[in-house]
Amino acid sequence: MERYKACLAAEKISEHYQFTREFQSILDSAITIDPTWDYPYRAKSTAYLKSGDFITWKKLIDKAVAYDTLANLYYRGRCRFNFFRDYKGAIADFKMLKQVIYNQNKVKELLIHDDTHVDTFLALCYRSLGETEKAIEIMTSRMATPSYSSGLFDHLHLGCMYLEQEEYIEAIEQFKKQEAINDLAENRFYIAIAYKNVLDQENYLINLKTAKEYLQQGKRVHDYYVENIDKIYWANILEEEKGIPKGISVQK
Amino acid sequence: MNFKHSLIVLSSILVSCNSTDKNSPTYSRWVGDIAHDPQIDGEHFQPCHGDDQIYQYFNMQRGLQFEGEKIAIERYFLKNYQPVKTNQSGWIRVRFIVNCIGETGRFRILESDENYQERPFDKKISHQLLQLSKKLKGWEIQTKDEEPVDYYQYLIFKINNGEIEKVMP
Repeated sequence: MERYKACLAAEKISEHYQFTREFQSILDSAITIDPTWDYPYRAKSTAYLKSGDFITWKKLIDKAVAYDTLANLYYRGRCRFNFFRDYKGAIADFKMLKQVIYNQNKVKELLIHDDTHVDTFLALCYRSLGETEKAIEIMTSRMATPSYSSGLFDHLHLGCMYLEQEEYIEAIEQFKKQEAINDLAENRFYIAIAYKNVLDQENYLINLKTAKEYLQQGKRVHDYYVENIDKIYWANILEEEKGIPKGISVQK
Repeated sequence: MNFKHSLIVLSSILVSCNSTDKNSPTYSRWVGDIAHDPQIDGEHFQPCHGDDQIYQYFNMQRGLQFEGEKIAIERYFLKNYQPVKTNQSGWIRVRFIVNCIGETGRFRILESDENYQERPFDKKISHQLLQLSKKLKGWEIQTKDEEPVDYYQYLIFKINNGEIEKVMP
């Protein structure tokens, strides 16, 4: 009954922006009614996350995880990774999520949010910690499962992992897959780098030119709140162009 | 209805309903608002539209806006920051306001260890990052309905043993 009353109280936030005192106060009221409901803690935490207040955010999201682990663990891990580059903390969350799902015999669909499997984030964390081989192993194992459905940037990330390992043929293969799913300035830029390393000048120039055009069109990895992994910038393109011998141009 | 009008209407509703203010006296207008403090802040910096009209940098749906993009910010700090020999690690947030003519002010620091527990860093780290943040030029003027606005911006530094590991957002 308390949960129902708390839910009714919390509904009033719909009229308010999440940063406002009204939004926060309404959720405080809901917490007073039912302190064991995860939702108001998580909803309150968002403004702190977006304003970079990692201390208050963590206190609130920890409460949400404590009261509903399954519903909030993926989210907490993803935020730790995206907003604070807390690789070790995110890995701990993702591993715990897998363990909880296994222990409670829950459906594995809980490991996927916004088309991205938890293994993609897990791999990105290991890669950022310098364990690129392990990251590649996680990604390729996930992709080999019959139920695998590609995330928006899976092949871009895996391609970049191969690029780091100087495995250019494998990298090119992944960037081509990315091109087929979600063609962006990023996969074009990195495939150009891979072609350059296998001395394929023609494909290097074609893809660098396309990367530049896509960047001009805004066809790129973008997020309002965080910097995506493997995002490229104008500076990357311009610096690459500087390395091109005179007489060869990527301009139109 | 645009964002500014929405806020005005919602404020009116709240006043007329005498709603939840008395239950949350400690909250500012918005999470993370920075009030002017004459002990810390110079007199020269002012938001153009008053403290009640300051947005968040992402409210204009363009994300971080800086000359040379985010990569220029990261390179600036990596070039100018002098690493400090220490075993201190964690996060430092520097939050501030960019006004409608691109000036910055009201800088504030938030610091934590690797477990998100608040604790100060060695001043040689935090003071240095604060000063570098104040000197950083290139924040773009953001607009709402073609009108230049004031907005809150933050930088988070992930510190690993006294060195900058990553600059965010």
